[in-house]
This record gives sequence, C-alpha cells and structure tokens, in this order.
Amino acid sequence: MTNHFIDMTNADVVMICGSNAAENHPIAMRWIRKTRERGAVVICVDPRYTRTAAFADVYCKLRSGTDIAFVNGMINYALQNDRIHREYVRQYTNASFLISPNYDFQNGLFSGYDAAKRSYDRSLWQYELDGDGIPKRDMTLEHPRCVFQLMKKFYERYDLETSCRITGAPMEDYRRTCEIFTSTWAPDRVGTWLYAMGTTQHTHGTQNIRSYSTLQLLLGNVGMAGGGVNALRGESNVQGSTDMGLLFNVLPGYLKAPAKGMESLQQYLDDATPKSKDPLSANWWQNYPKYIVSLLKAYWGEHATPANDFAYSHLPKTSGNHSFISLFEAMHAGKMRGLFCFGQNPAVGGPNSGKEREALGKLEWLVCVDLFETDTSVFWKRPGTDPSGIATEVFLLPAAASMEKEGSVVSSGRWVQWRYKAVDPPEEARTDSRIVSDLVRRMKEAYKAGGTFPDPILHLTWDYGDEPEPDIHRVAKEMNGRFLRDAVVNEKEFKAGQQVPGFAVLTSDGSTSCGSWIYAGSYTDAGNMSARRNKEDAPNGLGLYPKWAWCWPVNRRILYNRASCDPSGRPWDPKRWVIRWNPQLAEGKGGWEGDVPDGPWPPEAKLPFIMRPEGLACLFANSLVDGPFPEHYEPLESPVRNLMSGQRCSPVIKIWEPDKIGDSSRYPIVATTYRVSEHWQAGAMTRNTPWLVELVPDVFVELSTDLAKRKGIRNGDWVLVETARGSMRARALVTQRFEPFLIDGQLVDQIGIPWHWGFAGLATGDSANLLTPHVGDANTMIPEYKAFLCSLRKSGEVA
Amino acid sequence: MAMKAMLIDAMRCIGCRGCQVACKTWNGRKAEKTEFFSGPGYQNPGDLSAETLTLITYNEVQVNGRFDWVFGKKQCMHCNTPACAAACPVGALKKLESGPVIYQKHRCIGCRYCMLACPFEIPRFEYDSANPYITKCTMCADRLETGGVPACSKVCPTGAIAFGDRDEMIREAQHRINQNPSGYYHEIYGLEEAGGTCVLHISNVPFDKLGHRTDVPKHAVNKDTEQAMEAIPIVMLGLAALLGGIYMLRTRTVHHESDAPRADG
Repeated sequence: MTNHFIDMTNADVVMICGSNAAENHPIAMRWIRKTRERGAVVICVDPRYTRTAAFADVYCKLRSGTDIAFVNGMINYALQNDRIHREYVRQYTNASFLISPNYDFQNGLFSGYDAAKRSYDRSLWQYELDGDGIPKRDMTLEHPRCVFQLMKKFYERYDLETSCRITGAPMEDYRRTCEIFTSTWAPDRVGTWLYAMGTTQHTHGTQNIRSYSTLQLLLGNVGMAGGGVNALRGESNVQGSTDMGLLFNVLPGYLKAPAKGMESLQQYLDDATPKSKDPLSANWWQNYPKYIVSLLKAYWGEHATPANDFAYSHLPKTSGNHSFISLFEAMHAGKMRGLFCFGQNPAVGGPNSGKEREALGKLEWLVCVDLFETDTSVFWKRPGTDPSGIATEVFLLPAAASMEKEGSVVSSGRWVQWRYKAVDPPEEARTDSRIVSDLVRRMKEAYKAGGTFPDPILHLTWDYGDEPEPDIHRVAKEMNGRFLRDAVVNEKEFKAGQQVPGFAVLTSDGSTSCGSWIYAGSYTDAGNMSARRNKEDAPNGLGLYPKWAWCWPVNRRILYNRASCDPSGRPWDPKRWVIRWNPQLAEGKGGWEGDVPDGPWPPEAKLPFIMRPEGLACLFANSLVDGPFPEHYEPLESPVRNLMSGQRCSPVIKIWEPDKIGDSSRYPIVATTYRVSEHWQAGAMTRNTPWLVELVPDVFVELSTDLAKRKGIRNGDWVLVETARGSMRARALVTQRFEPFLIDGQLVDQIGIPWHWGFAGLATGDSANLLTPHVGDANTMIPEYKAFLCSLRKSGEVA
Repeated sequence: MAMKAMLIDAMRCIGCRGCQVACKTWNGRKAEKTEFFSGPGYQNPGDLSAETLTLITYNEVQVNGRFDWVFGKKQCMHCNTPACAAACPVGALKKLESGPVIYQKHRCIGCRYCMLACPFEIPRFEYDSANPYITKCTMCADRLETGGVPACSKVCPTGAIAFGDRDEMIREAQHRINQNPSGYYHEIYGLEEAGGTCVLHISNVPFDKLGHRTDVPKHAVNKDTEQAMEAIPIVMLGLAALLGGIYMLRTRTVHHESDAPRADG
C-alpha cells in the first residue's frame, strides 16, 4: 500500500476493483464504512455481485481478465474530457519527457518484439536525452513524441463503447463509474484504489496495477491523504514476508537477488544501482551499495571484509526463474530432491494442483510445518492414489500459531506491529524461528566435518542467544541494524554496538550491519518502535497515528507524500494536508511538518519521486517486460478474440503446457476462483474448525440463474466442472449475483468457485485448483487463477 | 443502570458472520452439521436452533428496480415487556432492568410456553438432549455485568451491531436515517414492536425482506398472553400440577450439573 487502512477514511471515492474487501479484508470495511457515511462514494468493480458489491454505492461488472480494457477506458475518459490534475501531471510525472523514435506500437505489439524468444528488446523504449544526459522535456506537453501525446494516442483506442464491448460492463454503469472516479481530478477531491489478487493473478497482472497507477497519477491522487494505489495483501504478514525477501528474486528490503554471471560485488552493483545525471533527482537508490554491504555484514559479520567483497560470493545466484510454477515444473521433471513447506499447502493452493500433487511424489523428502495435517502432508494417500508407489519421505512438524509466539506482524499498510505471546503452543509444537534455528545449528555442526561449500553455513551469523528458542528481539534488532565499530557518518559520531537510528547512516565500508535496510529505525536504542501503542494523532488529524507501532520506511505513513504539495511546498488540498513547508520552523530556516516527508530537502530542491532515477512518477516506463503502457490482452484461455489487436494473449508469457490450453469450442464458460470470508486460503486452519465448517461446509460453484436454466441445474445440485487440466465436483449455488456478459454481441457465461477445499481435514471437497492452468504473469509469474475456460454439467450425487 | 439496547444496521453489515462465530464461542454452543447451504445465499444453519442463538440471513432483493443483497440478523429481540417471561409459569425467564431478557435454567420446567408466547419465534428447545433446556440469546448478560458488550457487537468489524443506552441507540438510529434519508427505510424495527424491544434494527429495505416478522402488534404482547391464559384457568390448574411434578424431577437433575461451563445468564 502507498497509504494505509485508516487513511481510507480520508477518501471521497473508494474504488474497490480486483479486491473483494468485505469478504477477504473485513477490517478494511470499518474505515470504508466511515468515509461512506461522511458522503464518500464506494464503487465495486467485480465479475460477481459480492458482499463488497452489496456494500458499495455503485456496482459495475466486468468479465474476468479484462481489467486493462476497463481501466484504460477510464484513463481515456479522463484524457478526453480533460479530467486530469494537469499541474500535478506536468510537474510530477514523466508526461513531459520525450521518447526515442525507436518506440512504436502496432497491432498489439510494441517495438522490439522477438517472436522466437517471446520477449522485447526494452532498450528501444527510452527517453531522449540532452547533451548532459538528462531526459528532454516539453513542459507544454505538446511535442508529438512526449509521453503525454503518446499516451493520448495509445489510450484513445479505448473509447467507452470499446471498453464495454470487451469487458461486458453495462454502458450506463461504466459511464457512471468513469464519471465518479475521475471527479477526483480536482485538487480538493481524492480517490483511493484498492486491489488484491483479483488484479494480480492474471497473465497481465502487473500491467493491471500499472493501469491503476497511471489513472491515479493523472488524477493527482498519489501521495495524497485518501489516495494512492493500495494492495490489500492476501495474508496477514505476507507484507512482512516479502519485506524479508520471501520471493526468489529479492533479498531483504527488496534488494535484487544476484543472478548468474554477476561474479563480483561490483558487477552486481553496476547492474543494481541506478544512475541519474539530473541534479534535481535525489535518486535514492544510489545508496544501494550501503544497503547490500550492510546486509552482507548482517549475514556474515567479521567474515565479510572489503578484501573478500564482503562475502558476496556466498550469496546464491539465480540461474533463471525460480518462482512457484517453475519450481513445481522442475519438481515434476524430477529435478528437485526436497521441499520445505512452512504454512503452505500447494496440494490445494497450487495451480493445476493435480500436477503439483504428482510432483510432490517425485521428491526424496518433504517437510511440512503446519498447525494441522495438511493436504500436502498427506498427498501420498489422497483419493485414487496407491501410497506404496510413492517413495517420498514426509515429515510433519507441528508449528506454533501466531498467538503462541512473540514477534512482529506487518500489515498491508507497512505498519510493523509487535505482538506478544498469548498462550504457550500445545504439546511439541514449536515456533517457525525455533524450527529454522535448530536446523541451522545442526547444519553448522554437520558442515564442520566438511562439505562442498561450507563457508556460507559455517560463517553465517546466528546470534540469537543461547536458548534453543531464538531471542526474537535479537532478530528484530538485527533487522534494524547496528554499528559494528566506532564511526562518523554525516558528521555524527556513533559507537560500536549502537543501533542505527535510520538507513541514512548505513555505510558501504563495513562499519554497519543491517538485516533489512527499510527496517532501519524500527528497533533503535530508544527501544522497540513497533511495540508503541500511543493513540495520539499527528497535527494534520488524518489518522496517521505516528506513534502507534512503526511503519517502513522511516515511519512515513503515506508514500510519495512530497507529491501532495505543489512545488513550493503548499498542499494541493489544504484541508487534508499530509505534509507542508513551514518557513517558521528551524529558527526561520524552514522545515516540513506533518508526515515524515520524502526527503528533508526544501521545496524546489529535489524532484518528488525520490526512488526513481528521473525523480518523477512514470506514465511510460521500460521496467516491465511486457510493454511501456498497459495493453489489453485476453487471458491464456478466453472465449473471444482480442478486440484490440491480432495478439490474443500476452505475447511474452511463458507457455509451460501448450497441450493443456482449453479452447472455447469445448470449454465455453469463463471461470474464476476466489475465497470466502468463512475460510482461509487452502483451508488447513478453517476446514478443521467446526464453527466455520458449519457456515460453509461444502465446495460450491456460483452460477447465474440463466446458465442454470439452460443446463437444467437447480440450486444445490451436484455439478461437474471440467477444464483442459482436470475436473471437479461441487454443489451448484444458483444466484442472480452472477449474470452472463454481453461481449461484442455474444453472450458469455461466467462461473466462480472458491478454492479452499481438499481431501484432508474435517470438511473435504475437490479443490478448484484441479482446474487452473500452469501459467503466470509475464513479470512476476503469479499464476493466472482468476480467468480460465471450463465446461459445466449436472453430475450425479457423490458420496 | 439505564436500559441498554443493541442497534443492528443492515446498511453497515457486510455479512461476514463474525457475530455468529463469536456468539458460539462465548456461549459455548456446538457447531451444527450442515450441508451445502440451508437457506438463501450463504445462510447456514437454516434457522435459529438450540445451538444457534443468532443467525445472519442473506436476502437477494430488488431495491428501487436494482438488484441488491442485504444481510439481516436474527436473534432474541429482548422485549421491554417480554411475552416469554409472562408466559413462564416458574419465572425462568426474566427481564433485567438493564435490558436483557435472561433465562435461569435452574428454574425451567421445560414446558415450552415461552416458545409459543414469543411473537418473534425465538426461543428454542434442546430436543436432542436427554436433559433439555430452552436456549436463546441473553444479550450476553454475563458480559454486561462486568462492563462488557455482547460478543457479537464486540467482534463486528464495521460497527453494524452498536450497543448502548436504549435512548441513545434510538437517537443514533434516527440520526443515521436523517443523515441518509434516500438510503434508509424510514422506520426503526423494535421501537414499538411488541411494546418496544431492546434490539433495534434499521435497514435500507423493508424489514420483511430481511426475514423479520412485520405482523407483530405495536403493543406489549404479554397482555394477549395473559388474557388467553385467563380464559382457560382449569387447563392451567391441571397443567400447573403436571408441570410442578416435572419441575421437581428437573430440579433434582439440575443439581448434578450445576458446574456445567455454560453462560446462560
């Protein structure tokens, strides 16, 4: 999230698109309800009339997988009707930048496409630079090759009619949605955009988000109170997990995981550290070397020295894409020996889970760490399987639940909130950190006898006390970082052993260590900032509560807040000011007040988007592999042609299973998967809780009364859903909350299936992921759970 | 203590059913065996029962020509003049000054008159038990005693179940309706029903669409009950003798499980 949950109370318009907040983030509705009762409008965009739609003032439906057509139409509406915050766009985005003539877009493809490699040469999508290497700008936004003009040309193809033909949105609802949301172009009106996995789990999921950010930037809603682009994260503390480098391609603090070929620290830094020649650009990532060296010092301590590149060679190098689908493809091909599953249940949660269950059987060993016996831990005795044919050795370690251990939980709004242990774990259940710690200690012992490459293990810092249970406060302190020797940084003296007060004092000479640079400041010599529970608000009264817990980075509650003021430091919206320049502060030298600003510089000194080398937000960028603008493509499986171009689905996605793609002649119905309030993810916790099983005991398929009538299906009947991957049985929930879509004159049915069920536990049922394809987003590889093709028919009763 | 009340606002409810689970957790009620859904939408169980003291209903309705999905909450209305208490021959049901209508199971003789008397059809009987009692929502009277609020109100993420002085809740309900006159249906259910109740409902749809009875008289129903009872004094005498006998038997068994971990008020 750029903003945070309480900040939703500051919005005039709340757009919930790609999220079913009422069902999956009920607490968010506490704040949305408050702003609605103050007169804000809540819009819900979803293929299905959900509990969120029921709460919203405006509902507009769209067919799964067509977000870009929907939002690009809104962008076009804003551009055509001049409903944009023009000064914001001119000053704070790259709308004025001139783009190289090498950029082009024809029939669904950007320039530089290599069909054989299914990839783009992104170097063609560049800024035009002046003699000093600074991007050329046209502040009138009139130059035919400035981003603004290229945008107008690109987006004008998405007129209201075209967007409705693709998405199936009713024109009246769509026009109303466009009008209400773009009303926030006015500097004193603001709209927030909430999304979740309904947005990301597509082959063009990242571009979906880019379309949202583009619109929010045009409306001047980024950095504002009540604005921003806000991901409602899918699990409690998944924000903390990604902050800590959970993904294969990042290290803690979103530093890049080094790739094969980056043999030295310098090579790695050359690749990772962005450069800018613009004196107005803060280019904060120029500090990259300080963060990676401090991380290496946290990992390997005294064994990380300037002479050995701070033990950079100890870091594993990626040799390609190691994301979820790739791992299971490799496992299925017999290329993996073992797997640890901490609180994860791929036998239910993984796409094409039938294949993933097979893949588990090709492992030598599998360790599941969980609260319950999960479907994954008993994959070897799933229905229809002969356990004697599976050689995988499975270990199930009982884990402590979140209330049975102390530590931090990070909310979607980046708030790091400390929790205390409420009760002891039952029996032999242990905390995840204890389990990992025991493993590390035994590995260190084992490597003393030698091994292929023992140093990274033997020298790894493991300084969390002498007890078997690691001291979680020491872990938190390590994340914050500390001085390893006496040093002078920015003219201030620090002593060895002192906690760093913030990342501004981290160094690249080895005098500091820091486990995650964005957490610097979270556990200082003043104590554990995330344990603070002061309910006093900031003077701007926006619900920032700066002394409640702690938020990364530097306790800044609203990201990009410098853009909430005009260049002279005056808030665009004085009644909801986030920060403002006060010339009276600091004995007349002036200073910022309100939230922690994006950098300490006075007005006009630096450009506002300090994490970008150009210093401005990007309406055009070459950072994504599938294009500098978001273009509509159909999902991998779709019942209709792409009305925008001859390019049916994303031209750069990796097709893992060409023989497992269903076509609409056999599978004419669009399907999507989702969660319900009453169950949690792959169900291990909730399907074993009788009170929740009572509420939603059986797997079900939601379908329209219209489709049910045509298929002769009544409410409660058992139905069979089939895709090119597999089939499942479920109970039919016939409802008016789903309706067929009119797509380019053709009637298209859509159904939806919650994916919580599996064969283990108290409440069992077929998993919806038996149906979903092994295909992922072009950039992130997140699976396309949200749009695929199926057939549906009435089925006999099953026991 | 001033008379308390709950204000349930269908406009705020998101149908998450945290209340249903919190109710079972606090009151130690068992999960029921359900299959698929037992009512419209996601409704489960199908109705209130001995184990289910509150229930969210899922109502697919038309509002001003547009489809909508509205969530209602069924539970004891905690009448100001409760017909159940008036009908109870042994005083097992009792209206507290603080609002709740509580159930004192050690007095109950299992006659089930309360079930017949209740105009909202709320009390349930533990038919499946060898030693059955009446069950119903008690407004978590045990929590109120220590300054708490009902469990369902405590967990509600959107403030759809407000709790406070009845006068204050009525003012709050009127305030919300006045603030959004085109959104709300212009009545407070429970203001006058059965002579007024300590559970008040407001909604964007007429109350019958949420499954509430709209044929309940606007005066205290126990007057009807009393009149009906006066009309058949002989039957009552006979019954009294019979029930007295049952009561003696019941009181004997009750002593054996006085330490049962229930929170029946």
